[in-house]
Amino acid sequence: MGGQGAGDEKLTDIRPSALQGRRVLELADEKGAYCGKLFADMGADVIKIERPGGDASRRSPPLWRGEGGSGESLSFLYTNTSKRAVTLDLEKAEGRELFVRLVETADVVLETFPPGFLDELGLGYGHLRRTNPALVFSSITGFGQTGPQRGFRSSDLVAGALGGALYVTGEADDPPVTLAGQQYYTVAGLCAASATMIALLHASRVGRGQHVDVSAEETTVSLSHICGIGKWLDDGIVPRRMGTALFASVPSGTYTCRDGLVYLMVNRPAHWKALAEWIHEECGIEEVMDPMFEGPSSRRLPHRELLDIFIRDLTARHSVEEIYHQGQQRHIAFTPVNGLAEVARDPQLAARGYFVDLPHGNGVTLRFPGAPYRCGETPWRVSRRAPAVGEHNAEIYGGELGLSGIGLRELEERGII
Amino acid sequence: MMAVRDVEGRGGEQALAGIRVVEFSSAMAGPWIGRFMAWAGAEVVRVESAKHPDVVRQYVPPWAPELGTQPQLSPWFTDWNAGKRFVALDLSRPRAIEIARRLVGICDLVIENYSGGVVDRLGLGYEDLRAVKPDLIMLSTSGYGRDGPCSGYVTWGPNIEALSGSSRASGFPHRECTVTQFAYPDGVSALHGLFVVLAALDYRTRSGRGQFIDVSQYEATVSSMGQPMLDFLANGEEPRPMGNRASAAAPHGCFRCAGDDAWCAISVGGEEEWRSLCRVAGRPDWAADERFASLSERIENQEALDQELTRWTSCLTAYEVMESLQGAGVAAGVVQNAEDLAWRDRQLADRGFLEQIEHHKKGRVIATGVPFGLGATPGRSGAAGSAIGQDNHYVFGELLGMSAAEIEESVRAGAIETG
Repeated sequence: MGGQGAGDEKLTDIRPSALQGRRVLELADEKGAYCGKLFADMGADVIKIERPGGDASRRSPPLWRGEGGSGESLSFLYTNTSKRAVTLDLEKAEGRELFVRLVETADVVLETFPPGFLDELGLGYGHLRRTNPALVFSSITGFGQTGPQRGFRSSDLVAGALGGALYVTGEADDPPVTLAGQQYYTVAGLCAASATMIALLHASRVGRGQHVDVSAEETTVSLSHICGIGKWLDDGIVPRRMGTALFASVPSGTYTCRDGLVYLMVNRPAHWKALAEWIHEECGIEEVMDPMFEGPSSRRLPHRELLDIFIRDLTARHSVEEIYHQGQQRHIAFTPVNGLAEVARDPQLAARGYFVDLPHGNGVTLRFPGAPYRCGETPWRVSRRAPAVGEHNAEIYGGELGLSGIGLRELEERGII
Repeated sequence: MMAVRDVEGRGGEQALAGIRVVEFSSAMAGPWIGRFMAWAGAEVVRVESAKHPDVVRQYVPPWAPELGTQPQLSPWFTDWNAGKRFVALDLSRPRAIEIARRLVGICDLVIENYSGGVVDRLGLGYEDLRAVKPDLIMLSTSGYGRDGPCSGYVTWGPNIEALSGSSRASGFPHRECTVTQFAYPDGVSALHGLFVVLAALDYRTRSGRGQFIDVSQYEATVSSMGQPMLDFLANGEEPRPMGNRASAAAPHGCFRCAGDDAWCAISVGGEEEWRSLCRVAGRPDWAADERFASLSERIENQEALDQELTRWTSCLTAYEVMESLQGAGVAAGVVQNAEDLAWRDRQLADRGFLEQIEHHKKGRVIATGVPFGLGATPGRSGAAGSAIGQDNHYVFGELLGMSAAEIEESVRAGAIETG
């Protein structure tokens, strides 16, 4: 397998990462953790601030119960790589004071509290901008900071539902269904990361930050827009669940091979031609070459079921591997319908050294999904495993803010850190 | 009435003002990055050719198929390209390549998602372009990335859902493959691409250095599903698809409501929410039922729980279920479709999320908003529905400073296309 160990070039590469020198204070639950990870793996100093005792997300399933497993939350371990962690009770005055001192050193505050929560503590954007005018203050909530539903409770499922994604996922006979792994919150974090970067670039230019107000409902509407408002206003047809085929692409969907499923999608006229030729060659079907099927997908729309019969004839003769690679040699978009085991051992990902192996104590190594992008100049890297609760209290409050050992112990005893 | 934000004439500061982008792009995964940047104030120039039209340009309106292919009318062309400038170059001609390079010379960022290796063969690869613009940032996005045995393979968004393991890990346990109708890997990889180019711009501001960035849509998609992937990598078992259920919450799912294909999603995490739900549903007996006495029992007896709950939800509209549960602090949301989003969502309307924008052919259109919530520098979408080469004169004349005679000559030589 092509995992890159922490001992090889990834960690010995001394070139700076793109966001080295930027500091992010993260007060985020699962809505914001991936956003913080994007910054941290790009070299920003992301300090995760948790209440004394640690955030609830440290116990979110699935847990690490495999060989050598520590029982920790795997989603926590994944989304908190490369961060440092301190504890702080913001509901106590001294906790708030320490927070403001940290804000003086930060470029970004990333928070996911209900709207108004930090304002009530005197720690909202309106307060903190006086401390640090260039601060970018990014909030991720279910519904945004304004509007009649700003106080509604959210979840990844609720964001997927209201945002229009669930309605168009799965089979027509089944209830609407979500994606594995909290994808809608992940996308909210992705949007917040980009919005924060746009605000940071602007702040660098003009010296003024701003409040970035990201709603997980809106980010889902944006993600699912292909079957959203623009299309519906154009053709008046409300997109629905229709299995694995896509409404505007013919042919598309899953087809059965001798040993499993492949996914096929045809959009370009040339791709249809290549597929028709293959079917003609192998199955001897003459009708498939009829010019009435040529051109963009819209030409084939009335013939979806017939074309599916032709394609099934072809795929049934082959294994998934044959259809995948031989199809791709012919420039036809066939891909396997992979399980995670196949992804973990995919030669393509191995050749690119995608997975990252990270030591997790006691000689145990955990393998992680790696870089979502490759930067030629500024390496993406996991600089450390997810931190333990308050792991960097002494380093940050002592080493950086200059609190004495006695001062730290006292804060600890009084439950402030 | 649909509440939309009329962005015409909105002035004010633009966050990415002064940044200029060139796109050699098609479909969504590349163009969506430029769309967001244009919204935030960057000047984005898209290079096209009528000889190799974008698949989105090959749009036959379903409401008037007799019109044939309508390259300006696709609603997706609006969603992925509003606010950009459009030039037309026949890149098979050396003179067009020379003009494209000059254009790159006055830009900060190049985005490309042509099929494997095409920009390199054209002489528009990173090494060629950096010769004219030493601090250039260039992003290339493709299904599998720039190297590896499958580099160059053809994919669309749903192919990546299948490839990345998402379609098998997601959905109900009795289904083998569950995909979205919205090609979510296109969106997920474009959003990763947007973040990385913004980070590269920030780095360039501080270091003066550009760079080449390679996005594999496959890898970006696997990275965004870390939770199931890590479950497999750490625990060694293929996670069983759970449909809408959760491992630490119950009830958790989509519940049928009154009406055609009407559903409300409900997520009950803690005991307090569970008791609130029982109260709102008028079923104190559920709270007392020992099958539902704790989270682990509710998970154990989820079939029965879902059936009971459906008896309540199916008598109400999805909006009634949502409002009553949210009123008691329980996370619930209508499973909205496109029509609901436009007409029935009070929150989106109040926040003015949808934008009404100018369209060169249709007059005005409603576009999905950009969910970046930049309060001090609110973005705006420029005009939609541009023709191929619509901005030739602005870009070649005003930006590049080509004389009218020079443009004319390039048109005659077939380098610049006139649409």
